[in-house]
Amino acid sequence: MTQKGDRSSQGVVNLDELLTRVENDYDLLVELIGIFKQDFPRLLQSLQRGDMKNVQATSHALKGMLSGLSVTQAAASASRLEQMGREGRTSGLTDALVILESEVAKLWQELDAYVEEAKP
Amino acid sequence: MKILIADDDRMSRRLLQKTLEREGYKVIAADNGQLALQQLSLSDGPRLALLDWMMPELDGPGVCLEVRKQHDRPYVHIVLLTSRGSKQDVVAGLEAGADDYLTKPWDPAELVARLRVGQRILQLEDRLVEARETMRFKATHDPLTSLFNRGVIVDLLDRELTRTRREDGCTVVMLGDLDHFKSVNDTYGHIVGDEVLREVARRLLASVRSYDFVGRYGGEEFLIVLNNCDSTQAIARAEQVRSGIANHPVRTTRGPLPITMSLGLFATRDWDLHIVEEVLREVDLALYQAKGDGRNCVRLATPNTPCNAPQRLVK
Repeated sequence: MTQKGDRSSQGVVNLDELLTRVENDYDLLVELIGIFKQDFPRLLQSLQRGDMKNVQATSHALKGMLSGLSVTQAAASASRLEQMGREGRTSGLTDALVILESEVAKLWQELDAYVEEAKP
Repeated sequence: MKILIADDDRMSRRLLQKTLEREGYKVIAADNGQLALQQLSLSDGPRLALLDWMMPELDGPGVCLEVRKQHDRPYVHIVLLTSRGSKQDVVAGLEAGADDYLTKPWDPAELVARLRVGQRILQLEDRLVEARETMRFKATHDPLTSLFNRGVIVDLLDRELTRTRREDGCTVVMLGDLDHFKSVNDTYGHIVGDEVLREVARRLLASVRSYDFVGRYGGEEFLIVLNNCDSTQAIARAEQVRSGIANHPVRTTRGPLPITMSLGLFATRDWDLHIVEEVLREVDLALYQAKGDGRNCVRLATPNTPCNAPQRLVK
């Protein structure tokens, strides 16, 4: 799998960083995206329930997954949610969730497109 | 080398697993802290561990704390994975017993380099433990025969006598001395004498149970302590030891040599003696009697204390 120039500034995923992390292993990248797609809806549902006890742990898990996929902005949104969970702040939780969802929706499209493009 | 990765995030686990397998590690994965601790508590468990900070059941620092309580296990090098980059968090993780930490998301090259550092530290620890064990062996064993040395065998006898008194059991003590050993040294030289001593030591060990003690008491004297041995069996056991030496010549570089051993024998059940110095004195007197009675024989100790066992002379 070849790298295709500096794409860090082109989308929500820092692809160069991500490719370094998976050591240019296309199959592994597809597998990781698959895991993310399986696990994300469950974590999101948990956040949407608004149980403040779970918000911190769930958004922490999301932050880890998103930063693992080099999605810096969405990871920062998850980090904000984690902070709100830690402090037990409910105000702004819904807005923060909407922001996170929209960022992940962009990510989804980008990853799908990249998987197609980079298919060996 | 085996390595444990513990992370409740499947993605993170998979990524770590793949990176580490490429580097030749045998990866064991756990998705919570309790499972990680179970793996690290196994006698042949991994000695390198990558632990996520936040995990269900038990978090990374919690696993560190538990692992560091296990003093009977070889050292485990632990790297904490954390997205908590504050100084206080790092200090808390290291204080809990972690050796290193990596911030998520990690760079694979840095991860591998840090694990190599861990392996170097473990190799150093292994060499230190090996050196300590070698020193311990040298301090407790006779260098020629590898039997317990005099200090250790006497300590073991003391311990057994105490236990025997407490449990009202019986310990059998034998003091054996090779007959005419000086003439072996004078005739064939000390190298052959050493060969004889090594072979005698081997035969003595072969003639007792794995949990009995055999030590080199002096030049050609050997002390044998039989734990929980019935006094009625003592003479038969001593005869086994004696015949084990006498029945087959010892092969040396100067040809086979007939070697015999005289033995003094003491069974605590028969006498009210439990002080190590007294026991050693009595068994030495019995050995002296065996020498006087023509050597290559066993004699029972007959202390000047109330006796409930008859003195018996045996070949």
